[in-house]
Amino acid sequence: MATEANAITVQHEGREVEYTYLASIAELNKTGQLTRWVKGHDILLYEYEGEIKALSNVCRHFGGPIGYHKHENGVFTCLWHNWRYSCKDGSCLTHPGLPLRQYILKIVNDKIYIDLLG
Amino acid sequence: MKKRFTLQAQFVAEMDCPKEVVMWNYYDHEHLVGTHFKLYDRARVLAERDNWSLVFRSKRMPMLPFYTGGIGFQYMDGNTMKSFHKDSIGFLLEMEALFTDLPNDRCRVNVTYRINTHPVFKIFQGFFTKLFERWFWATWEEDAPMRLRRWKVHKLGFKDFSGIDYINKKGARPERIPYGPYVFDPPVKSSSPIKTVGGIARPFDHSTEIGYADQDFVFELPIEEAAAEQPAVEQHPAQPVEPR
Repeated sequence: MATEANAITVQHEGREVEYTYLASIAELNKTGQLTRWVKGHDILLYEYEGEIKALSNVCRHFGGPIGYHKHENGVFTCLWHNWRYSCKDGSCLTHPGLPLRQYILKIVNDKIYIDLLG
Repeated sequence: MKKRFTLQAQFVAEMDCPKEVVMWNYYDHEHLVGTHFKLYDRARVLAERDNWSLVFRSKRMPMLPFYTGGIGFQYMDGNTMKSFHKDSIGFLLEMEALFTDLPNDRCRVNVTYRINTHPVFKIFQGFFTKLFERWFWATWEEDAPMRLRRWKVHKLGFKDFSGIDYINKKGARPERIPYGPYVFDPPVKSSSPIKTVGGIARPFDHSTEIGYADQDFVFELPIEEAAAEQPAVEQHPAQPVEPR
C-alpha cells in the first residue's frame, strides 16, 4: 500500500485502486455525520449502526443536500423538498428507483479514504 | 373616492448565479416546507398554468407568534414576478420581484412589498418596514445556498429526477463538462401531493442541522504533521568572525 498526503493506493484484484482522503475519524465523531465536496463528488459521510458509510450527498430530485439534517430513525430527509433516503443503503423511500450512490471506504490510521471510482 | 395609503418596503440583493435560478427558486412551491421548514408548515397548489399559480400557504412571519393561512396568486410578467397574498389577518399584500442580469453569471433581485390600506394605518409604516425587512432577509438567507448549489450542480451536468451522470456511473469528474444556460421553464415539475386536497406539510419543525458544506474541500495536513514532513534544515553552528 502506497501512501501520499491526500491519497492511498491499494492493490485490488491485480489493479491499483486510489482512495482519496475524505476526513479523519475525529472530524466524523464531532457530529457523527458530515458532508464534503471532493474532486467534484459531494460525499455524505456518517456512522449508522456502528458502521461508517458514505453516500452521494446529491439528491436525485433537484440536487439538494441530503445530509443537511442529521439523520433520524435511519432516514435522511433532503432539505429542499423532503425526499427521503435510507441510511442503510441510500435507497430512496420517496421515489424507489432513484437511490443514492454508495462509495467504498478505507480507514487507515484513523483517516477515512474513499474510492471515487468504485 | 376614499383616501388610501400604501405601506411599502423595498429590498435589493445580489446573487452569484443567473437570474433564472432565482426565478426557479421563487416559483418553486414545494421547497416552502423543506428549505423554509421553520417559517412554513403547509402548502398546496390550488391551480397552476405555465406562468401563473394559485397557492395556499401557512406561514409564521417574524415578530408574530402565530401561523396564518392565506391564498396567494403569482404570475410572471417578463422578468418580474408579481404576487398577491390575502391571509387571515385580512390585508391584501402585493409583492413584485424584478430579476436583472449582471455580468459574470450574477443577478440582482429587487423586491417591493405593498399594502394599500386606510390612511389610519400610516402609523404602522415603521413596523411594516421592520417586519418585511426581517422576512426578506430570513428567507433570503435560507434560499441563497439553495440557489448557489442549484447553479453549481447545473454546471456539473445535473439533470432533474436523475442526478449527475459521472456520479451515478461511478466515473471521475470529466475535465470539461459542457453545460448550457440555466432555463427557467415554469411550472416547476412537482413530485409530491402538493396539488391534492391535503397539500403537503413539513415533516418536522426542528432538526439537528449539520448544514451545507458546498465549498470544495482542499486537503491540508494538520500543522503537526506538516511540520514533521518538512525537510530537515541543516543546522550550522555560528562561525566566529575572524578579526581582520
